[in-house]
Amino acid sequence: MSKNEDRELIKRAQSGDAGAFEALANQYYETMFKMAYKFCGNRPDAEDITQESCIRLARGLHSFKGDSAFTSWLYRLVINTGKDWYKSNNRHPKSDDGLETVQVSAKGEDQLYAKQVIAAVYELPEGERDALLLVMSEGLSHKEAGQILGCKESTISWRIHEARKKLGALFEKEQKYG
Amino acid sequence: MDEAKLKKILGDINAPAPDENAKKSAVNLAVAEFKTVENQRKNAPQGISLFGRLTSKTTQTRRDPMQQKSKQRLMYGGMATAMAVVLIVGVTAQQTMIKNNEFVAQSMLATTNVDAAATAMESLADVNEAAPQEMEREEALPSAAPAPLPTPMDAPVASLTVTEQAAQVGNYATTARAKIATPGFAGAGADASRMMMAESMPYAPPPGVVVPLPEPINPYYQEEGRDKFQDFKPSPVKLVADEPVSTFSIDVDTASYSLVRRELNNGIIPNPDAVRIEELVNYFDYNYALPETRETPFKPTVTVTNSPWSKDKKLVHIGIKGFDIQTDQKPHSNLVFLVDVSGSMDSPDKLPLVKSSLKMLLDTLQPDDTVALTVYAGSAGTVLEPTKVSDKQTILNAIDNLNAGGSTAGAAGIEEAYRLAEKHFDKEGVNRVIVATDGDFNVGVSSDTDLKTIIEKKRESGIFLSVLGFGLGNLNDSLMQTLAQNGNGTAAYIDTINEARKVLVEEASSTLFPIAKDVKIQVEFNPELVQEYRLIGYETRALNREDFNNDKIDAGDIGAGHTVTAIYEITPAGATPSIDPSRYAEKKEAAQPKSEFAGEIGFLKMRYKLPKENESKLITTPISADANAAPNSDVTWATAVAGFGQILKGDTHIGNFTYDDVIKMANEAKGTDEFGQRAEFINMVRNAKASAPH
Repeated sequence: MSKNEDRELIKRAQSGDAGAFEALANQYYETMFKMAYKFCGNRPDAEDITQESCIRLARGLHSFKGDSAFTSWLYRLVINTGKDWYKSNNRHPKSDDGLETVQVSAKGEDQLYAKQVIAAVYELPEGERDALLLVMSEGLSHKEAGQILGCKESTISWRIHEARKKLGALFEKEQKYG
Repeated sequence: MDEAKLKKILGDINAPAPDENAKKSAVNLAVAEFKTVENQRKNAPQGISLFGRLTSKTTQTRRDPMQQKSKQRLMYGGMATAMAVVLIVGVTAQQTMIKNNEFVAQSMLATTNVDAAATAMESLADVNEAAPQEMEREEALPSAAPAPLPTPMDAPVASLTVTEQAAQVGNYATTARAKIATPGFAGAGADASRMMMAESMPYAPPPGVVVPLPEPINPYYQEEGRDKFQDFKPSPVKLVADEPVSTFSIDVDTASYSLVRRELNNGIIPNPDAVRIEELVNYFDYNYALPETRETPFKPTVTVTNSPWSKDKKLVHIGIKGFDIQTDQKPHSNLVFLVDVSGSMDSPDKLPLVKSSLKMLLDTLQPDDTVALTVYAGSAGTVLEPTKVSDKQTILNAIDNLNAGGSTAGAAGIEEAYRLAEKHFDKEGVNRVIVATDGDFNVGVSSDTDLKTIIEKKRESGIFLSVLGFGLGNLNDSLMQTLAQNGNGTAAYIDTINEARKVLVEEASSTLFPIAKDVKIQVEFNPELVQEYRLIGYETRALNREDFNNDKIDAGDIGAGHTVTAIYEITPAGATPSIDPSRYAEKKEAAQPKSEFAGEIGFLKMRYKLPKENESKLITTPISADANAAPNSDVTWATAVAGFGQILKGDTHIGNFTYDDVIKMANEAKGTDEFGQRAEFINMVRNAKASAPH
């Protein structure tokens, strides 16, 4: 589906067309699920967060003004939903069983290393983790990440710097001697 | 960590394909919700934009899960929700009332002395019997309420959680009521309950209409905002017998005063950690005696007065004024301005104010002084190589061309600034780096300790550091303090052009020309005359006893014309002490009064180094018990300010001293008040009184 068709769908849904909304939800479910998955690292949580995000999408679609990309807007929705979800469940996205299910394309030793790094990423403070994932994993610019997370570009840069410093302290040494 | 590698690893996170069933149920739920929302939207009158509120939440940093939940519950609409709302309000009302009652009961118990305890027990027993009647009274009360308020015990509950809560509240309620000892207190409880009912009225929704609960607001204390303050506790009362010696470093910073003033002008009671009492007191200029010769840079003035807030106690004022430098004797200055031009400085109270401040400072300089300008943002860079002040236009142009943008690489900037200062180091003159920032050093070396290490290293080179803080909301006060305290420097907070004038023009010589560095004060109290003492303020400047004679230990600096005031509260021998005597400590024989020290409350020692020396010098003077001269207006003024600071911090040592007492004392001691700073203080106290929780 092209961008224009999506815009059309969003407009119709915003004017109250339930059919259009259903199509839109079906269309973007996977995108939202993948975002959620990246931010929590396991399927059950990701499914719950996506479901809640869908419901929030229904409530909040009107406030999408089209001044940013719809996916950026969705990012924000999903991330905030995730935060609230973890808060209300009094948990942190790092459940041990969850991490084993993180799937990476790398194989063998690299895979093990990658999994360790990802596990460490999930241990980072919320803001740093979110900034790191948006920029490093989703390939967004610092500016875009700032818009999504509702903070300044400089804050994103700083958080990424902090995150890399922490990860560096954890992994750089092993690499040198390994 | 390698960026490319990290990118690859994180980019490789393989999100699995979504589960079709999960997708279907999610989409169905969302569509159902969408239809409900659409219906409500069509029927809702204009102006109730529930959804606008919902989405606006996403931009907020602080999210309250309870609030989210209550909103979700409301979304499903209908009578059940309406009932639940009434019930929640009811339960809250009960809880608040109970808290009130408990508080009253507790404070009553606290004030009862041992003899009365038995009587209190009896009356408690009486109340236990009386409790049922009282419950009836309270049940009768809600007649004024718009909706019937179910009592916690027999409430028709809408959900399980509410049942549990209600049951719990019921239990508390019984115990709380049992504590109420007199009918008067019961009346107070009932009043509270009535008040709550009146308040809850607007929230009881008419049937069928869903009204969101109001967002909780806390008007008295600002919790949001990312200003960072070092937290500390007020100094405790110390027994002279245990610890006769008190040691601290002087502090001529005034940043705390401007911060407090700014918050109070906005109707906010400042964070207690932002209130450093010594900085409030030292904000003002006092006419202490000057030293007779230039050999010693300053001389202490000691006054002992009665404490206005505790009977029987006394205040010992120690005032110091450094000699001032005549304009024609001012040494040559080599100044490097380091200006933060990161994105966060892009606000009218930041960069533009920095520019005006720098221009003001420029006017106070001599033609052959040099000024350099370097900035830090995404990268640090020199905007202006050291230039003579006689070439003023070049400097002004450079200042005008500063623009905000990018992130803050504070550490690189500091390195660069010190490099420039070293390049044109003037052995005879004053070499100083002046940092203007909102304190957010967020790229590069950013932890307080790392920066501290850099600054400490640079301190050795003889370059002084001044930190000027601007703006609020992002201010890293603790970092500013760290920088100034470790870099032989001062920190000031500039919130208005007036403050800039005070710091950079009126006090230019004290801001720029140090006359003594590493100034430490040590007071030893005479146990025969003093039982206890308490240093007011200077918590963040406390030193160990042995640090006093150790010249390696850094301490505060005094600039030309600076005044510094320290106040101790002491309990003289014979007065009621705050600390009970130890039961097991060996009873000392009444020591023979040593005649040579009779009449000495204590002994004041001060160490300082001249700006270019590394060996400290010592000034000593005994504090005489009859330094009881009628307090002059300066001493009264400093006392009023110290009292204000303690009220603001919620200090427990000052009894019933109120803002009104501060205003009264301050009005008496206002003096000529040439620049209106004292009048401004009195106004600030009034603001604090108005904003304070009642």
